[in-house]
Amino acid sequence: MKRDLLRVNMSDLSISREPLPEGWRRYGGRALTDAIVFSEVPPDADPLGPDNVLVFSPGLLGGTSAPNGGRLSVGAKSPLTGGIKESNSGGQAAHALARNGIAGVIVSGKAADPSARYCLVIEADGAAKLERVDEWTGLGNYDLADKIAATRPEGDRYATIQTGPAGEAGSKAAGIAVSDPKGYPNRFAGRGGLGSVMGSKGLKAIVISDKGLQYTEHADKEAFQSAMKRFAAALKEHAVTGQALPTYGTNVLTNILSEAGGLPTRNFSHGTFEMADDIGGERQRETILARGGHEHHACHTGCTIQCSRYWMDKDGHYKVKGPEYETAWSFGADCGIGNLDEIAELDRACGDLGLDTIEMGATMAVYMESGAIEFGDATGALAALMSGATGGEPGRVLWDGAGATGKAFGVTRIPTVKNQAMPAYDPRSVMGMGVTYATSPMGGDHTAGYTVTANILNVGGSVDPLKPEGQAELSKNLQIATGMLDSVGFCIFVAFAVLDIPDAFTAIHEMVEAHTGDKWDPDALMELGKETLTFERLFNEKAGFTAADDRLPAFMMTEKLPPHDVVFEVSDEELDSVFDFVPETAQKMGIS
Amino acid sequence: MRITVALFAHLSTFQPDGHGGRGARTFDVAADTTVGDVIGMLALPDEPRVLFINGRHADDSTVLAEGDRLAIFPPIAGG
Repeated sequence: MKRDLLRVNMSDLSISREPLPEGWRRYGGRALTDAIVFSEVPPDADPLGPDNVLVFSPGLLGGTSAPNGGRLSVGAKSPLTGGIKESNSGGQAAHALARNGIAGVIVSGKAADPSARYCLVIEADGAAKLERVDEWTGLGNYDLADKIAATRPEGDRYATIQTGPAGEAGSKAAGIAVSDPKGYPNRFAGRGGLGSVMGSKGLKAIVISDKGLQYTEHADKEAFQSAMKRFAAALKEHAVTGQALPTYGTNVLTNILSEAGGLPTRNFSHGTFEMADDIGGERQRETILARGGHEHHACHTGCTIQCSRYWMDKDGHYKVKGPEYETAWSFGADCGIGNLDEIAELDRACGDLGLDTIEMGATMAVYMESGAIEFGDATGALAALMSGATGGEPGRVLWDGAGATGKAFGVTRIPTVKNQAMPAYDPRSVMGMGVTYATSPMGGDHTAGYTVTANILNVGGSVDPLKPEGQAELSKNLQIATGMLDSVGFCIFVAFAVLDIPDAFTAIHEMVEAHTGDKWDPDALMELGKETLTFERLFNEKAGFTAADDRLPAFMMTEKLPPHDVVFEVSDEELDSVFDFVPETAQKMGIS
Repeated sequence: MRITVALFAHLSTFQPDGHGGRGARTFDVAADTTVGDVIGMLALPDEPRVLFINGRHADDSTVLAEGDRLAIFPPIAGG
């Protein structure tokens, strides 16, 4: 099975293709983007300069029929955190790359003319070229998708990767859009400002055609099919992956987080939102059905969970996908907005501009706390968000995220770690998430070690979210497992089934072995997770991060969060123990 | 004694007053009623549940007190 690296140098506009080096043979997805960033980016590089690289990589099972195995990892040094970043997305691009025999696209350098825009076009016959597309400067993601469609032959099958005006403007909150199975540019590698790394290089879009290309070849087809069937059965059997997610989508979490007192409301000042039910997954589903929208679909081919949905406006026209829980939270509870249409409007605006909704909602809440606009003012929020499009105020500050906004507008309660805004779980009342936010090399990130499973949902056991006991161990194990899943290419939602059904994890190692032909026992898989994190911790250390960066904002240790009146209580010693495996793993890897 | 019951996702069809939809409902029960007793009275489906009393995790054996808010969720998740 072919696994090549496609190297695209934006400084001299050259493209070359080489086999994946033998030393990286066991890497895919996040492990591969980490390995490349670790090896090729000087830790002190300017993230928006020519020495940063932007890497796109499908997981080890990308391009196969493995259920939910088509996620895309995007890696670089982050302009938002200043550390290493892996930003993960659904959509069709990972499968398209893998079917083309591409293990990674590495974009380096920077276009000589800062006003130049390029589109990288990868054809199914192996040809790859950079097209000059200056006329696409400043296009929103939806218009850009239409422009790209007009360049493609009739009957083509292709995926797109795009950066919007925010990425072109160097916004630290800019994300990268990936096309869904219908071609909408509505899946996102949202976190960490990678849309600006893309924009800084003069790369406006990537088009990957996989027309006529088949699933990637297996080393042992029968063994693969057999393990795949068991894995698919486990996903169907588990109540979360088989019923709850397809029916209600991710936003089903709003009501349960509010009930638990963990839904950060009005800039993390309360854990319960009085309008939670108006913006939750149940209300979302009722409204979607009433407006003739679509209730469950896959964000990439081969997903059996199909948690996604399209939100229609009052006239029944497509407005946006989801909104996902994180977006319903960030522009909803965190901003004091209790209306899904208003949230959808803000979600769509971010999607079109190419902005991370988690960062922008959290940012807007900080802006609201400054008093510039009121909590709940959705119209004012939309106007403030859009003002960045012309480089005006306050948008140009808001577009750099919650940290920049708090500093500029005199807000001291800034909910960030490593300058990245925390997502939709208050660390004081969902204490495992506090450990993940504090310690993850990604910064304030929820997917990196999603302790909500045991803290709130009773999946994979139960750990009281209101107490410090057990949280560090829980976060550590989940961070390792997630590093592994992100490298294999799985949507992390498979974890809900894997945590409760042992055969699901067995099926994963069997699929990876049968597909790659390499030995991959369960211990080796967990080692892959540790290696991923080891690359990240070492890079960050060299980039200047210390233990002081593995801490929550001070107010979370002193300001009691109602309704449970709790503060974050996991000790610094415990936080510093989460990555105790790094020295040993680094030695085995031969890196320092 | 009087408690409040809140049912979510597909459990909202099992409301004690017989009317569907979410939104907490009051429910009169005997003293020393447990969560398990209430689940039995509501004839909830046999599946894993997540239970909260006044926002804190509870289980079937927890005894309810006057004024408690009992919230019951079926298996759900998201991200």
